[in-house]
Amino acid sequence: MTGLVAASAVTKRYGGITALSRADFSAEAGEVHALLGENGAGKSTFIQILAGVVRPDGGSITVGGEPYRPRNPQEGQAAGISAVFQELSLIPDLTVEENIWFRREPLSAARTVRTQAMRQATLDLFERHRFPPIRPEQEVRQLTLAERQVVEIAKALSRDPKILILDEATSALAPRETEWLLGLAQDLARAGTLVVYISHRLGEVRQIADRITVFRNGATVAAYRTGEVDDETIIADMLGRRMDRLYPERHPTATDRIALKVRGLSVDHRLADFDLDLKEGEVLGVAGLQGHGQRELFQALFGFGGAKGSIELWGKPKVISSPRQALSGRDGLALVPEDRRNHGLLLAKSVRENLTLSVISRFTRFGITDQKRERALVDDMIAALKIKAGSPEQAAGTLSGGNQQKVIFGKMLLTEARVLLLYDPTRGIDVGTKGEIFQLMRDLAAKGYAILFYSSDLAELVHVADRVAVLRNGRLAAILAGADNSERQILRAAMIETRAA
Amino acid sequence: MSVATAGPDDRSAAPLRPASIWKARLIDRASLIIPCVMLVALLAVYGSMREGVFSLDELNLDTAAAMTLILAATGQTIVLLRGGIDLSIGGTISLGTVLAATRFGDDPLQAVLWAVLIVVLGGLVGLVNGVLITVLRLQPFLVTLATWSILSGTALLILPTDGGSLPGGWMRFGSASWLGLASSVWLLVLLIGFWLWFKRTRTGIAIRATGSNERSAFLSGVSPLRINIQTYALSGIFAALAALYLTTQTGAGSPTIGKDYILPSVAAAVIGGISLFGGRGGLIGTIIGAYILTIIGNLVFVLSISSYWQPIVSGIILLAAVLASSLAEKSARRSLT
Repeated sequence: MTGLVAASAVTKRYGGITALSRADFSAEAGEVHALLGENGAGKSTFIQILAGVVRPDGGSITVGGEPYRPRNPQEGQAAGISAVFQELSLIPDLTVEENIWFRREPLSAARTVRTQAMRQATLDLFERHRFPPIRPEQEVRQLTLAERQVVEIAKALSRDPKILILDEATSALAPRETEWLLGLAQDLARAGTLVVYISHRLGEVRQIADRITVFRNGATVAAYRTGEVDDETIIADMLGRRMDRLYPERHPTATDRIALKVRGLSVDHRLADFDLDLKEGEVLGVAGLQGHGQRELFQALFGFGGAKGSIELWGKPKVISSPRQALSGRDGLALVPEDRRNHGLLLAKSVRENLTLSVISRFTRFGITDQKRERALVDDMIAALKIKAGSPEQAAGTLSGGNQQKVIFGKMLLTEARVLLLYDPTRGIDVGTKGEIFQLMRDLAAKGYAILFYSSDLAELVHVADRVAVLRNGRLAAILAGADNSERQILRAAMIETRAA
Repeated sequence: MSVATAGPDDRSAAPLRPASIWKARLIDRASLIIPCVMLVALLAVYGSMREGVFSLDELNLDTAAAMTLILAATGQTIVLLRGGIDLSIGGTISLGTVLAATRFGDDPLQAVLWAVLIVVLGGLVGLVNGVLITVLRLQPFLVTLATWSILSGTALLILPTDGGSLPGGWMRFGSASWLGLASSVWLLVLLIGFWLWFKRTRTGIAIRATGSNERSAFLSGVSPLRINIQTYALSGIFAALAALYLTTQTGAGSPTIGKDYILPSVAAAVIGGISLFGGRGGLIGTIIGAYILTIIGNLVFVLSISSYWQPIVSGIILLAAVLASSLAEKSARRSLT
């Protein structure tokens, strides 16, 4: 039996780099089919080919038995394929409904858009798939990353696709919305849609996927029924010979010295009276459902205005009213931001420039940069973090997601700040690089760094953090350590009082 | 604010308090509210200095004075929404007035034919701009700077100094009025009608969308070549219309007058809340911006100080408008993220 989609020996080269050397893929209507692999394994290229964004160099694809060669995304959509990519395709200055129906707006006799019809269609779509509440008339630039992700999903679903591709669609979502999306994927599959699901979270894949195809280095290495394979095998397939453990050994390295002391921190009504002690050598996790104050906490600590309360760094009171003040000197703070593509990196600039941007004054005398010293420091950092770049001059935007994140880490480490704020640093990053980042965090803690670490993936907090502070309604709900530091306890603390209310 | 699944227990799903909704809306509209406040303030000052400022006569006079700039700025607004800029309108306006003053003759049919030709020429200039920008991937600023220069030179070749003449019937349009409203006011009504229609068409939305995020728009099926041709052709057409209107006021051709509209057209749009980064704003703001610049001219006249004060005051108003809307945007970002 041939599936709804059958691809064989699909190849794609970009210049001298082979993105896909031999991709085979077969999936049927009515299933959730997971596509797994490290970043750089070729998953993104493959689904871009499926969606018609990229054209393959060789190989053949059939959809519903017919040869399939889309020249642009519109032809892919005409064949019933809709994709939600990691890189969102929404237009910030249009409203939610204008984005969902962009280029397909219902028109009146005067060739103008019928706003009421569009609004109704949007509300119907939201209701049919039980979407989280989003106002259709709101402009997308006012939405959070998670809300934008949801709108992107609505846009894909509005075409009633036969094949829906979800690329890391849960990475921006909080646990609740993630559950919603997982349920939605299953519902769609039951109704006969093929859902191609890409995620680095094995737990999600286990929960919803019927079958799994694994890519490595641009080729298909294995395909399984989900029930017939264990996690170890999948990870081994993804990594090849590399069998490092995902989570590093955790030895307590915290001292009694308080690196960051926060008292009574409040931001509007979204973060209230928050106290925190972060010790030298400690990784302190922060957990909470989406919108319960964790974003405000990180922003307030990094000097985005509007916060009240006191902050002490290494025992000295510190007023932080701008990122510049937060960054200053050895007793400063450094942040890995939520949206690395927009806020953490200058994508068009080289790896070298990104790394040294905030510390350029250190090699500059009388306005002249000492390029030798800069070069040496950059080379050291690239080697230490194992950043995979052709050269330090490669544009940061052309690196894989994991390597971009390493550049941000490098940039942060070069500032010499020893209190690190990491906001969801592994979002959308492959397993191999995740492992390296966790190892790096523990190594830094052992060297005396103090790390505040928010993750939307609870398992990461449980396995990497020494203690976990749980936020609920903008307040500290619990601090969990030792045996209490478990996904179950975190979720209880994050949710339970809310339920009672 | 955040996404959350439905449920009465979820704090983040709760609707915003009415007060904060109002605040958010106010901040969101700040780029339009600010020029409105400025215009009212200017009118108040103007009205305290002269009798009869708040009369139909004054409206007719000011609209006639502002109309050329409004037409030029309409094209500029469309280009700015796309995220580009069009300097060539200066050349199109000069060449348009020169052609009108030298080719219209006395035969009404010939005049109308040439008027249509001038509008078509404006559209063709825009088409060339759009093609050059898209196919050669050149900066709009440089491409339209070059076409401006070429068109200005051509205008000077045809008519080296201000002069020529226009048929009496043509000029009567400029001073005509119906129901107490001057032709310029009716033109303004038509223009606003055009805009209310255009901004709701797919093309109108696509131009704004492309200015907001080019890559996303192209991924969603907007054709880069088509959208640029449409954008710059519209700008050229409105520049040609500005030239034709201008000749009804001056009664002559001028090979150098167009440059007086290039930067003021950008200034009117920016004062009216159009973002130079594209995607944000609308024609209503631009029209208010054009009135603000015109009233400043009136004020300088009434105060009988040197007319060189006009650009100085215009510059200060421009800075104030840009500053105020950027402050509003910053506070919006703070309260909404």
